[in-house]
Amino acid sequence: MTMAACPVPEHVFGEQVGEERLIIRGTTLGDVFLEAARGLRELYGELDRPADDPKWRTIEVTAETRADLLVEWLNELIYLAESGHWVPTTLVVEAALPTCFRARARGVRVAGAPSQIKAATFHDLRFDFHDGLFEAEVTLDV
Amino acid sequence: MSNATLAAAKPLSPWLHEIPVTAAPGMRVPARVFADEVLWEKMRQDRSIEQLLNVATLPGVEEAVYAMPDAHEGYGFPVGGVAAMRMDDGVISPGGVGYDINCGVRLLMSELTVPDLTGRLESLVHDLSRSIPSGGYANPHMRLNAAELDRVLKEGSRYLVERGLATAEDLEHTEAAGSLTEADPLAVSSKARERGHDQLGTIGSGNHFVEVEVVDEVFDPAAAAVYGVTAGRVGVLIHTGSRGLGHQVCTDYVRLMGGVMARHGIVLPDRQLACAPLSSPEGQHYLRAMAAAANFAWANRQTITATVRDVFTRALGPAGRLRLVYDVAHNMAKLEDYDGRRLCVHRKGATRAFGPSHRDTPLAYRGVGQPVFIPGSMGTASYVLAGTDEALRASFGSACHGAGRALSRHMAKRTVTGSEVREQLEAKGIVVRCPSNAELAEEGPHAYKDVDRVVSVVHEAGLARKVARLRPIGVLKG
Repeated sequence: MTMAACPVPEHVFGEQVGEERLIIRGTTLGDVFLEAARGLRELYGELDRPADDPKWRTIEVTAETRADLLVEWLNELIYLAESGHWVPTTLVVEAALPTCFRARARGVRVAGAPSQIKAATFHDLRFDFHDGLFEAEVTLDV
Repeated sequence: MSNATLAAAKPLSPWLHEIPVTAAPGMRVPARVFADEVLWEKMRQDRSIEQLLNVATLPGVEEAVYAMPDAHEGYGFPVGGVAAMRMDDGVISPGGVGYDINCGVRLLMSELTVPDLTGRLESLVHDLSRSIPSGGYANPHMRLNAAELDRVLKEGSRYLVERGLATAEDLEHTEAAGSLTEADPLAVSSKARERGHDQLGTIGSGNHFVEVEVVDEVFDPAAAAVYGVTAGRVGVLIHTGSRGLGHQVCTDYVRLMGGVMARHGIVLPDRQLACAPLSSPEGQHYLRAMAAAANFAWANRQTITATVRDVFTRALGPAGRLRLVYDVAHNMAKLEDYDGRRLCVHRKGATRAFGPSHRDTPLAYRGVGQPVFIPGSMGTASYVLAGTDEALRASFGSACHGAGRALSRHMAKRTVTGSEVREQLEAKGIVVRCPSNAELAEEGPHAYKDVDRVVSVVHEAGLARKVARLRPIGVLKG
């Protein structure tokens, strides 16, 4: 799946027989993380609903590399969706570093925890920077 | 996968190809692929064989690694991959088990025939869909407190006997009696517990299902009689696993093992093969956490069984009684003995298939072999097979676990719509309940390989032998 003609930030889904392949592009690290959350939300079918939870909460993840950080971020969102029946829809970046990402979030309560995505994996994980753009690929277990 | 590597593959029989240890750098054992020419070509088109060769590089891998006839590309291990590791110098890999620890299948059989359901099938499937939470829904009737969850994790299905949701016969007819003794609830993180505490008795999403089946054809009357699988009788097939709890256990330990590998100097071609020496504290911790998640999965299928039984007897009276034929796991690493060698056998998308003389085959099925279930896709046949003693030597006592995906979910949705799948199934007289048309399209028969061909290879290769074919008449999709 090519992203050459896409505006940034943007995400698309690649072809993988067994799982979901999420491909994200952005001009900043923060863009990539927010767009990854948007991709997950699309898989959850919660792309268009505005936040209905008045409370802001902080989500923070750390890892040794930016690629691992992306996996941590997605896994944290998956955990929050399934354990708390909550999907963040409004995110404000507070810190976007190669080893730490922190955002404030408001979101929507979901009646059934979105459970079709089990986890973000390290399989063929990629997080590159070239020509002024970050591009990442991550496989989601379905 | 390069053509040169594939050219090195030698057919050992019409159903078995071997790729020698010299085919790729770092391979420690050969790779063996059970497939006829059509399935072999399918596997060559994705990355399943490349992933199998990666598995052959794992430390302490014994004898050979195997791809079952339904194998397809996954991550780390291919789905349909089998590998056995030595206890002293081998590793245990969460990626070799998968996220859905102890995803598995069980078959229940009744004395009912299709005419008994005339005019009742629609409402029966509807009642099942109302009574068994699917998709992301939790089970409002089974929220476990911490002590109860500990007991599920420690004891699996055994705990449910006490709660009146399982019988002694159910345990006898479940692999490992539905309870792995290695399980330690303390090895399971609080995050995993939070994800699982309200999910016992739920199907989940994806390819998970509860199906009402009719026995369409019997191939081995003697074995079918022992299993209680009679032509024309109605049964129920249940396919699900350890839900969010198991997924989180895998996430937690894949992360942990990244650091462990560096300490032990283990370098792998795919990070999702993350592993730890079986002899290391981290390896042992994962084994105990995985066993706890496996116990949760057995308890999950057993809880669903209790609900299905309740729905059937409410609708049909005593004639609706359902007997558990067997329950098999297909995502697991288990400690097993082979000619005096204790090995940790990883099966990812593969089913244990022990034969008539194996001591772990339930007493009732000795002389026949343990039942093996190979579900097709919605609208296609599922099969009951019997494990063989030959499989112990051929594949570490393993057979396949399903038809195997052929199309990605996006391609499946582009090929046909969910409403078209629904119409096709209804035209065959199959009652369908599924929360979304999109999932129906993703999981339709067009997205899977030909289950008849897959089963034929399993049978011809001697991994398990065909006993009966089931035809779906009611489908409840996750």
